[in-house]
Amino acid sequence: MKNAIAIRGLRKDYGAFRLEDVSFDVPGGAIVGLIGENGAGKSTTIKCILNLIRRDGGEIALLERDNIADERQVKQDIGVVLDESTFHDTLRPADVEAILRRLYRTWDRALFAAYLEKFGLPRNKLIKEFSRGMKMKLSIAAALAHRPRLLILDEATSGLDPVVRDEILDEFLGFIADEDHAVLLSSHITSDLEKVADYIVYLHRGRVALQGAKDELLDTYGRLACTKADLAAVDPALLAGSRVGQFGCEALVKNRREFCRRYPGLTVDPVTLDEIMVLTQKGEESK
Amino acid sequence: MIGMVCKDILVLRKQMLYYLFFIAVYTVLVVAGVFPPSILPAVMVIIGMLLPMSSFGFDDQAHWEKFAAATPAGRRDIVAGKYLFALLSVGVTALLVLALMAALAVLGLAEFAAAETLFSMLVCIALSLIFNAITLPVLLKFGAEKSRIISIVIFVAVFGGVMLLGQLADSAGVELTLGPWLVNALPMVLAMVCVGALVISYFVALGIYQRKEF
Repeated sequence: MKNAIAIRGLRKDYGAFRLEDVSFDVPGGAIVGLIGENGAGKSTTIKCILNLIRRDGGEIALLERDNIADERQVKQDIGVVLDESTFHDTLRPADVEAILRRLYRTWDRALFAAYLEKFGLPRNKLIKEFSRGMKMKLSIAAALAHRPRLLILDEATSGLDPVVRDEILDEFLGFIADEDHAVLLSSHITSDLEKVADYIVYLHRGRVALQGAKDELLDTYGRLACTKADLAAVDPALLAGSRVGQFGCEALVKNRREFCRRYPGLTVDPVTLDEIMVLTQKGEESK
Repeated sequence: MIGMVCKDILVLRKQMLYYLFFIAVYTVLVVAGVFPPSILPAVMVIIGMLLPMSSFGFDDQAHWEKFAAATPAGRRDIVAGKYLFALLSVGVTALLVLALMAALAVLGLAEFAAAETLFSMLVCIALSLIFNAITLPVLLKFGAEKSRIISIVIFVAVFGGVMLLGQLADSAGVELTLGPWLVNALPMVLAMVCVGALVISYFVALGIYQRKEF
């Protein structure tokens, strides 16, 4: 499998908000992090992928099959975790299994039981008595128990404490150890993605503002901290965005090495995904 | 589809126990002579309408439909599951009430005419099914919260209309009697009306749901 997800020219028009010409791939054996500010289009993109909303244009291939024409077949191979627990409070994990094993042909009862044990989830306790972290772990156990090839997670780690998040991220890393597996993980907790993602797709105002291999992005981009006068002297073509403050300026440098060669007197620090997001946004706003 | 029905049964098992208790209480009241035996088919109608409606309420609360639509079940099985669950709710409750009434008659705990009781059961089953045929597309389109008022209006229109017609006939001194040919044909007529209403309703609901965005 080359790409678990291939999206080309995806469009969705809500009037006030538009997803425009979104194109990216989720390669096999990789975790792709979908980042962006609230309302950037992350959930809209995931809903289009899962055919929860109708797209206005573009193509989406899941596991090399069309996401609409082959919807039922392809969804047998996909595990989905949404941003909130979608299991009824009156159910128990055992009930969740009783329902889902009738939906997924490849449901593995032993695997589900193993995940419940691993995550410390009591099989016969009502879900309404679960904490948010436990509910999310149950969703993940349910998404993995039918042995999917592709995991799609929409803000699955938001609202969880760092210990639970770390546990869940480890699970994703274990999942993609198989080259035939892939994960698309949307999150605005960029530190999680810095930890596990192989590729990053940054959505901003419904468009792909930036995408590439995470290590390459973090290696190429840089953060310039300087004075107003220094910033004014810099070629704007080398910057992806900047923020002018009372005590100094910050800018996102597109190519750290090239920049240092041209401006050896200025210091460019390594950048985080958070800084890439914030400074790109500031750059857009100042245009 | 079976998974969807299984979900509704598991989610509503507590409600079902309440309804069983409800039926038991009314049966005791019938035996005690507080209510006539015809109250039991009326209880059946209420349960046959409330159970499917409650399932939408629980689904909305859990945001289940968004997840279900993302599974291989998809929209078609969600819709089909709701119709099957409504049929089961009406069917099982009707069988239970019939069995209870038969037991009451055999044990001599209540007296009623068998033909009349069967007739009223048929009408009640038909009313439940027609009510579900009207409300299910509305529930699938708007969800439980927004559909509540619409469902109440439909309930009042259907049952209020029937009662109003009866009262009007009474006050006009018209005796509403069914000819023997109509009595004989009624089961078939009701069955055809119910099947027709449910089939049309199912395809309307499917059309609505295919366009629904989550």
